[in-house]
Amino acid sequence: MSSSVVLLVLNGLTQAAILFVLGSGLTLAFGLMRIVNLAHGTFYMLGGYIGYSTLKSSGSWPLAVLAGGLSIALLGLVFERLMLSRVRGSDLPETLLTVALSMIIADLCLVFWERSPLTLNVPEALNPSIPVFGVTYPGFRFLLMAAAIFIAVGLWAMLYKTKLGAAVRAGVDDRETVSALGVNIQTIYTSVFVLSGFLGGVAGVLGGSYLQLSPGGDTTILTYSLVVVIVGGMGSLSGAFLSSILLGQIISFGLAYAPQYAYFLIFIPMALVLALRPQGLMGRKLA
Amino acid sequence: MNWTPNPRLSRALWTGGLVLLVAFPFYADTYSVTTLIRVFYFGLLAVSTGFLIGQGGMVSLGQVAFAGVAGYTIGLFAYEREMPFVLAILLAFAAVVVVSFAFGLVAMRTHGLVFLMITLAFGQICWAFAQQNTSLLHGWAGIRGIRPPTVFGIDFKSTPNFYWAALVLFALALLLLHRITRSRFGLALNGVRESPRRMAALGYPVYWIRVISFVLAALYAGAGGILATYSTGIITPTSLQLSRTIWVLLMVILGGAAYFWGPVVGTIVTVGLDVLISQYSERYNLVIGVIFLLVILFAPNGILGGLARLTSKRPRTAILATEAAVPATEGSGVSAES
Repeated sequence: MSSSVVLLVLNGLTQAAILFVLGSGLTLAFGLMRIVNLAHGTFYMLGGYIGYSTLKSSGSWPLAVLAGGLSIALLGLVFERLMLSRVRGSDLPETLLTVALSMIIADLCLVFWERSPLTLNVPEALNPSIPVFGVTYPGFRFLLMAAAIFIAVGLWAMLYKTKLGAAVRAGVDDRETVSALGVNIQTIYTSVFVLSGFLGGVAGVLGGSYLQLSPGGDTTILTYSLVVVIVGGMGSLSGAFLSSILLGQIISFGLAYAPQYAYFLIFIPMALVLALRPQGLMGRKLA
Repeated sequence: MNWTPNPRLSRALWTGGLVLLVAFPFYADTYSVTTLIRVFYFGLLAVSTGFLIGQGGMVSLGQVAFAGVAGYTIGLFAYEREMPFVLAILLAFAAVVVVSFAFGLVAMRTHGLVFLMITLAFGQICWAFAQQNTSLLHGWAGIRGIRPPTVFGIDFKSTPNFYWAALVLFALALLLLHRITRSRFGLALNGVRESPRRMAALGYPVYWIRVISFVLAALYAGAGGILATYSTGIITPTSLQLSRTIWVLLMVILGGAAYFWGPVVGTIVTVGLDVLISQYSERYNLVIGVIFLLVILFAPNGILGGLARLTSKRPRTAILATEAAVPATEGSGVSAES
């Protein structure tokens, strides 16, 4: 393999790491709550901005990740309790509420942060140059990949090894029966939405360290996350993982070889999946 | 027009309104006339989206893309290649039909929320394509300097002339859609909205009804795009961006998605609000976002729904309050239909 190809594959994996953290949050909320959070892109952006300000004032990157994630988790909590729960059960108002929220947040971001693109500067200590396959690659990007894998394992453990996870999985299959069995489905909804917000915020800090944060960038991010979820299969964690890797490579190689069509290219796997396997790569066909 | 009590008064109001509209350039300043032209082209987009939501139960967030397809076709051919405008407009509609049909074939395999996500992704991809493609579409700069033609000695570069042309187009488009809504096709589409399974069992080609209504709606969005492009003289990726889709959605919901006139009323109010707010504040997205939020929470049937309640008529089955065309058993929004 030539060194430029190695570099592109690695960039694709870095991109995939961010896409997975982003998409896993969206897919979890969709799988359980049947809600398409169209504010997910703005969650990412706001999380990234808060991370940026945290990093600037504290100098600690891990703290920035935590601040970005937790603040959006809190936002998710307030939004879910005060607004979403009022229109529970009807798709369109739920979705529209998230649209309205994203409009509001995106405009508020313009008030509090500068309009020029921002990038989180990762401290040198976390960013050694690491030689692999004949190229040197910023070590911090491996950190991003590690973070994504850590989150993937954590989510898997949460879903399959805890009581909450069991309730969530049961809720995905049959909400009514779960609540009839005495599980408080409300609490589970709230927890999942908060977790989804946390992941969105964390993705923003991770993404803001690799790419740029800029006003209007939230819609691009939203599209990425939707495509991850559609290609992977709604509500499927493993699907999100697979499709993130696939899309990460497409974006990376697309930018290098066909920059005019880079963004357009991610449409191809989406169209193929929709035409051949509408439930997504790992999605289950619900009868 | 549910709340007007007697047909005579209703007719008088309609005639009066129409006369006021036709005479508008004689008593209003150019800015107001241009604002109404804006109402017409946004109105076409809102009607396009509202038709799909209200009649078909399909929430499409991709309609703005079809306006963009039509607008860019006009820019590329009428302006850059100096094609006669009639041909260019036909070509623009043809492009819209081809794109919406091809996309519709794929998108109609899904329902409800998945359909919504896919149309959103489609719209975003069109936007990104327009923005990244520099060789043909000139990226961010877009195509500028597009001027309306002169036809049979009538110069449509003059604002009043353009206004009348837009008014006629808008009125005809609404009339036609009103007919379609009440035709057998329109009723079949309503049936598909309520229960795709039952309609399929009755022998209706559910999939094709949905595809055709999608193409029809796209044509309306395309007409709006053509009008907007000629009116503003430019077509850029900004015309395709998500914030515009959200705007159009707000128009539909604010007016009342379940009502034929809902999108039109919503467009008038939203454009009016925009004019009003932008005089005072740069934060109009914030204000409009808050209004959007309040409408969804407290007046889900929109302005027309509110009026219907005031005149003590039962509001129509609220589109917002029902599951948007996702039967409970098809929770994932994906079905093996077709």
